[in-house]
Amino acid sequence: MVMTKVAPKKTVGNFGKLTAKMQRYREEIFDAKPYVDPERALLTTEAYQQYQDQQVDILRARVLEHILQKMTIFIEKDTLLVGNQAQHNRWAPVFPEYSMNWVIDELDTFEKRSGDVFYITDEAKEQLRKIAPFWQHNTLEDRGYAAFPEKSRLFYDLGLIGADGNITSGDGHIAVNYETVIKYGLVSYEKRIKEQMDQLDLTDINQQKQLYFYQAGLIVIKAVHDFADRYAQLAEKEAADATDQQRKDELLEIARIMRKVPYQPADSFYEAIQAVWFVHLILQIESNGHSVSYGRLDQYLNSFYENDVQAGKITAEKATELLTNLCMKTLTINKVRSWAHTEFSAGSPLYQNITIGGQTKDGKDAVNPMSYLILTAIAQAHLPQPNLTVRYHHGLSDHFMRQCVEVIKEGLGMPAFNNDEVIIPSFIARGVKKEDAYNYSAIGCVETAVPGKWGYRCTGMSFINFPRTLLIVMNGGRDPESGKQLLPNYGHFTEMKSYDELFTAWDQSLREITRQSVIIENTCDLALEQNYPDILCSVLTEDCIGRGKTIKEGGTIYDFISGLQVGIANLADSLAAIKKLVFEEKKITQQELWQALTDNFQGPGQEKLRQMLVNDAPKYGNDNDEVDQLIVQAYEPYIDEISKYKNTRYGRGPIGGTRYAGTSSISANVGQGHSTLATPDGRFARTPLSEGCSPSHSMDTDGPTAVFKSVSKLNTKAITGGVLLNQKMSPQLLRSPANCEKLVLLLRTFFNRLHGYHVQYNVVDRKTLVDAQEHPDKH
Amino acid sequence: MSTKRKINHDDKGLIFNIQKFSLNDGPGIRTVVFFKGCPLKCAWCANPESQARRPEKMYDEAKGCQIMVGEYRTVAEIMDVIMQDYDFYEESGGGVTLSGGEVLFQAPFAIKLAQAIKEKGIHLACETTGYTKPETFNEFYPYMDLIYFDCKQWSPLLHRQGTGGTNEMILKNMQTVIDSGKKYCIRIPVIPGFNYTDNDAQHFGELFGKMGVKRVELLPFHQFGLKKYADLGREYQMKDVAQLHSEDLLNYQKILQDAGITAQINGW
Repeated sequence: MVMTKVAPKKTVGNFGKLTAKMQRYREEIFDAKPYVDPERALLTTEAYQQYQDQQVDILRARVLEHILQKMTIFIEKDTLLVGNQAQHNRWAPVFPEYSMNWVIDELDTFEKRSGDVFYITDEAKEQLRKIAPFWQHNTLEDRGYAAFPEKSRLFYDLGLIGADGNITSGDGHIAVNYETVIKYGLVSYEKRIKEQMDQLDLTDINQQKQLYFYQAGLIVIKAVHDFADRYAQLAEKEAADATDQQRKDELLEIARIMRKVPYQPADSFYEAIQAVWFVHLILQIESNGHSVSYGRLDQYLNSFYENDVQAGKITAEKATELLTNLCMKTLTINKVRSWAHTEFSAGSPLYQNITIGGQTKDGKDAVNPMSYLILTAIAQAHLPQPNLTVRYHHGLSDHFMRQCVEVIKEGLGMPAFNNDEVIIPSFIARGVKKEDAYNYSAIGCVETAVPGKWGYRCTGMSFINFPRTLLIVMNGGRDPESGKQLLPNYGHFTEMKSYDELFTAWDQSLREITRQSVIIENTCDLALEQNYPDILCSVLTEDCIGRGKTIKEGGTIYDFISGLQVGIANLADSLAAIKKLVFEEKKITQQELWQALTDNFQGPGQEKLRQMLVNDAPKYGNDNDEVDQLIVQAYEPYIDEISKYKNTRYGRGPIGGTRYAGTSSISANVGQGHSTLATPDGRFARTPLSEGCSPSHSMDTDGPTAVFKSVSKLNTKAITGGVLLNQKMSPQLLRSPANCEKLVLLLRTFFNRLHGYHVQYNVVDRKTLVDAQEHPDKH
Repeated sequence: MSTKRKINHDDKGLIFNIQKFSLNDGPGIRTVVFFKGCPLKCAWCANPESQARRPEKMYDEAKGCQIMVGEYRTVAEIMDVIMQDYDFYEESGGGVTLSGGEVLFQAPFAIKLAQAIKEKGIHLACETTGYTKPETFNEFYPYMDLIYFDCKQWSPLLHRQGTGGTNEMILKNMQTVIDSGKKYCIRIPVIPGFNYTDNDAQHFGELFGKMGVKRVELLPFHQFGLKKYADLGREYQMKDVAQLHSEDLLNYQKILQDAGITAQINGW
């Protein structure tokens, strides 16, 4: 009698279990303790000492080559895929060329952190201290600091604009062209580089520079080839020693594959998946930029899988086992960040994304058998990494959606959904070719780019703290905490006549901060371009080889970037409280409010005032235009201003070369919350800010439809860098199939009608949630 | 009671909650409008704040203070809230459900609201005890696309003992719906000490057979309302009665099935 549009006939769920082998492998990885691994740092130092007279492209290629030649390699007893990042699984290599000061400063405190603890041996400490002098005034961080214009540096130092990741790490935030890697092999890149080299006229200095890039490209391709060969030799040796016949056969198969890929094209699913993993791994030995992503894994692997199935060479179970193996390999990658940066990326995430679903070039549903197997593998492996994103479009079948909901029920916060219906038109409007726009993938978590054709950091540039900016504006442009005059004085809040006066001051001030963020970002980009080109990553991204340029020099087809604006909901709720309670209803005087913020609501009567701020003003996330429109207006100066500034690649080749807005705060809302005093939404000083564009914690009282409505009022088309929405849902709710179907309908409305950009569900019960808040290290 | 409140406005309804994305009140994504006030007084009522036909104070744990429950609202005010989720109804095949309390206890207002909802082409359901005069019911039910009917007792006498009213009007109105060809769903709240015996199940089976009912839903007794009685400062007679689980109703279900009635258990 109850009718719904959704009537899945095929079964859902029933993902099955990991194979015994993969179950053992998973336990091995989970048992591994994270250590700080000095090996890469030592090898890098040796290479820099040996090759510092080389042109920078050659130098960087030689560094990677040296590491791949000398680093420890191993093959775990239960893996079918090979390739390791450090001396042991979950050990985090040190990348001294990007930053070394904090590594040395924190050597004795890595083990004592309140979260993201790393262990370190005394020997490793010794080794790192020994090489530290070489890196003094010789890292990205040093070069960035030296290059910051003085005033901009102040915004960075005070934490109003966060760019720790940009100045202490490589870039990352990219997906290379894995499809070409597996279909044509690295040999195809080698051939193309040689052809390009033959045509160079070296009397032209620009072409001479290209020569260095091409030479560097050949060095890294050979280095990767030789690195694969090291695994082939190791596998053969272990096969010779193996007593178990099955393992012996497996090792010999590994050896055969490693002699072939990724240099030669892959001819089977197994070869393809090994090639993808191997390249993905090496990109994260070359650079420690995070959010290195797989792109559309289901699209480029499916034909290999289906061919093997037809030829009777593989079963769904075997392919799933290899996919779970890939997931676990992905989890072995680790990164140690400075404590300051850790606050922005808590949980040592690498944001390695796999994207599935979406549409083909001609707008047809792209879901294929591999999409389903990847869902199964993610559910079976049950890991915090990789991140899985499903590209939603209106033609996605109910059955596939229901299967996604079954994975969501596993409580891993995935898959997240990105919406083709808004992202594709938005890309096309920005000049992305239709066929490329239809081929986008998620990078990291929410942000999107065309894999293999787009530069670094479609998001992941600097973080601007919106609520703290508001406090500075209210304080006449002076940072209330440090007392530094950062922005022009448009008058103190206590003397303002109207909300409009405050808003005008906000508008002007936000534009100034936006300009400062551009200067900070460009400074980092300049230092990265001049000193830290990623040669392998560039070779694998179009059209670096065609142009003879690294990514940072403008080698890519597309290059749009975005920063992250943090505390959207706090700003919305603060503005609403000020407008309504102070200026309209005059329930609170300007002096009272300012005093309460200064006192962190600890003064007499101030808790009552805080309760008014919390309870008597409308809150973002409840489909209330009164507040929702305030944030739309307050965001606009940023959106408008940022669009005026080019990135460092503008006019050097890529389509774009510009910037847009983005809200994927990751955990920066916690870090930036620490440096933010009490805010007019009733938030206490130093507590976390709101996340992405999600409503403030428990301020959304009107259910998920109201949250979706509020979020959809944001200028999503302009916030191409990502509109991050995290929603929580109780596992009890999703116990009934009928409710799961309603979740599908809810998502469809958000995407089809309201043109939402992204949503992600964290299915946690209250007990787990409270425990996570009290013991964040355990989660 | 002030005389002001007695002058009851037909242009306003006493509403105690409007809940968006309500999950168990009909197809698709729905908004439920909860009417305050009920002519029956069931001891097991899980929404005791819905019973009195006047605004009343209730303790709000989240806010840490007493709040007023129940507000007189116009059709236009309610429609503003309903229309906010229009996209969700249309995409999901959902709509609005009028619930309570007892929606028919404020029939003139409920009819006006129903008219406004149907003018927008929104799917409309109600959850009712059916306890109203047939002429009132006949004016109301044609606006409904789906009617959830609570059937608490087969025996008029026992019905009066448990709820304060007999079930004669209820059964008459139920028969009207069954004969009308409207979509409907009959629900039995299965309550220990009131209608939970095998004998009850047998009688229900006979009754439904006579009325032409083919399918019913069984709602096992739960204690979700327990805290609300305390928050209202009210005594709760059922506080020591154990909750029923789906498996406790298997025999009850079987008796109905044997009588030719499909019975679905909607466990909580």
